[in-house]
Amino acid sequence: MLKAMQEALMAGRKAEIESLVDQALAAGVPAGTILNEGLIPGMERLGVQFKANEVFIPEVLVAARAMNAGMSKLEPHLAKAGIKPRGVVVIGTVKGDLHDIGKNLVSMMLRGNGYKIVDLGVDVAPEKYIEAAKTSGAGVIALSALLTTTMVQMKAIVEAVEKSGLAIPVVIGGAPVTRDYADQIRARGFAPDAASAVEEIGRLLAA
Amino acid sequence: MTSRRLVVDSLEFRSPARVPRQLWLLPWAERTWPAELAAIRRRFPDDIVTSPAFLREPLRTQGQEYEPGLFVDEWGCRFENKQAGIIGQVKDPALTSWADVGRIRVPAERLTVDTVKVDEFCAASDAFVLGKTWSRPFELIQFLRGPENLYMDLAERPDGLARLLAKVHAFYREEMELWARTDVDALVFADDWGGQNGLLIAPSLWRELFKPLYRDYVEIAHRRGKYAFMHSDGHIAAILPDLVEIGLDALNAQLFTMDIEAIGREFAGRLTFWGEVDRQHLLPYGTSADVAAAVRRVRRALWREGGCIAQCEFGIGARPENVAAVFEAWDRPA
Repeated sequence: MLKAMQEALMAGRKAEIESLVDQALAAGVPAGTILNEGLIPGMERLGVQFKANEVFIPEVLVAARAMNAGMSKLEPHLAKAGIKPRGVVVIGTVKGDLHDIGKNLVSMMLRGNGYKIVDLGVDVAPEKYIEAAKTSGAGVIALSALLTTTMVQMKAIVEAVEKSGLAIPVVIGGAPVTRDYADQIRARGFAPDAASAVEEIGRLLAA
Repeated sequence: MTSRRLVVDSLEFRSPARVPRQLWLLPWAERTWPAELAAIRRRFPDDIVTSPAFLREPLRTQGQEYEPGLFVDEWGCRFENKQAGIIGQVKDPALTSWADVGRIRVPAERLTVDTVKVDEFCAASDAFVLGKTWSRPFELIQFLRGPENLYMDLAERPDGLARLLAKVHAFYREEMELWARTDVDALVFADDWGGQNGLLIAPSLWRELFKPLYRDYVEIAHRRGKYAFMHSDGHIAAILPDLVEIGLDALNAQLFTMDIEAIGREFAGRLTFWGEVDRQHLLPYGTSADVAAAVRRVRRALWREGGCIAQCEFGIGARPENVAAVFEAWDRPA
């Protein structure tokens, strides 16, 4: 059943995922097993395929939607069993920038990989990231910018995080952003694309 | 030697006297670097220009496309913008129900082109003239549906998607046919198909749904003796063979997201590369020497007695000295 769940998830079959999760719960399969051996491996495999240009944005989005449907069924059971998400990520597009297609894709892929996402939206001031990270207990702050002129906001946010005493890494991404720029502003993570963002955040949280 | 002749010679691989050039710019550059831009314009005048549309009826838009705030385009797509000098992003898609496809208002004003004035414009210019077409079926349906909805649609293929695409394409065909009857030299279409590392959708899906549309646009241009020009941002190596196969004449692509040498080995001498030079990193952050080296690399890989147009975009963040360096480098002998 868990293998079937992976296949249904990768194909984005939402109704089938809902049905399989219901069946698994009814059969007494623990919620944590369904999540960690059914749903998350499916999303992880999809992420690998996405990075290798074997699947593309449409396939990832329908899989993420199916994942969310499955999670809606599972969450009450996970909470009852005391199972926590893999990590909490505060994410947003920096101040002055309204672009969010890339940021939304990263959010969906992270959610699909078992992370709790605090999505602050677009045009987010530095202090909002700090507040959200403190209240949510986030392990990572993820920043997106599309424009060279707004990318500079990332530096202010990294500095604000350092000053706040929050010992959590900042990961950055977006069209003009490079690893060199991340190093220059002391951002500990950099992701050139959505699939890499999931890997990078996993690496930072495990460190 | 006219500018038009330079461009045609490059398109036909007939050793033009110099590499023809064209500067693209966002209003941001005009506002931020007016004196520097004027100097670049004086030193490196464009060989390619776009004819005004000379519309008899104004487009029904609201707001200013390049100003902060809301801009509603002629299709009813609502763009929100925060920064002057660039375009915004659609936040509130116009088409939320497939039942409303029939209610989307086609901007018939775009078909009220005064073709006599266009022909006068072409006759008065010795530049290579592009029609003001810029057909973009994929981007337009993204704007109408919203990007996330549209990507889901592409996975699920509801009936409405085919109806929407057919409606948009019928309009663009009509507009292309209209411009093809004028004296412009080329028709232009555009869609951003690439991410940083590859295509946004599966190449097979692109070939099924979108390649036939572009094939139609190329056919319309060629039937009337015009060249077909296309712009597409991102890493689009997967569809380059298709674009060559349908007969595209010139492609504006983000070469520096791809393997330029591999592109050259396969396509140099078969397709003209209408720019560009890396506007994500080199133009804003590189040195003029870096830019000159980039141009030399493009020339080595892609120039075959023609097949290149010295184009770059003076967009947000770009340094004026680097924009000038693009054209200086192309003007130097190989």
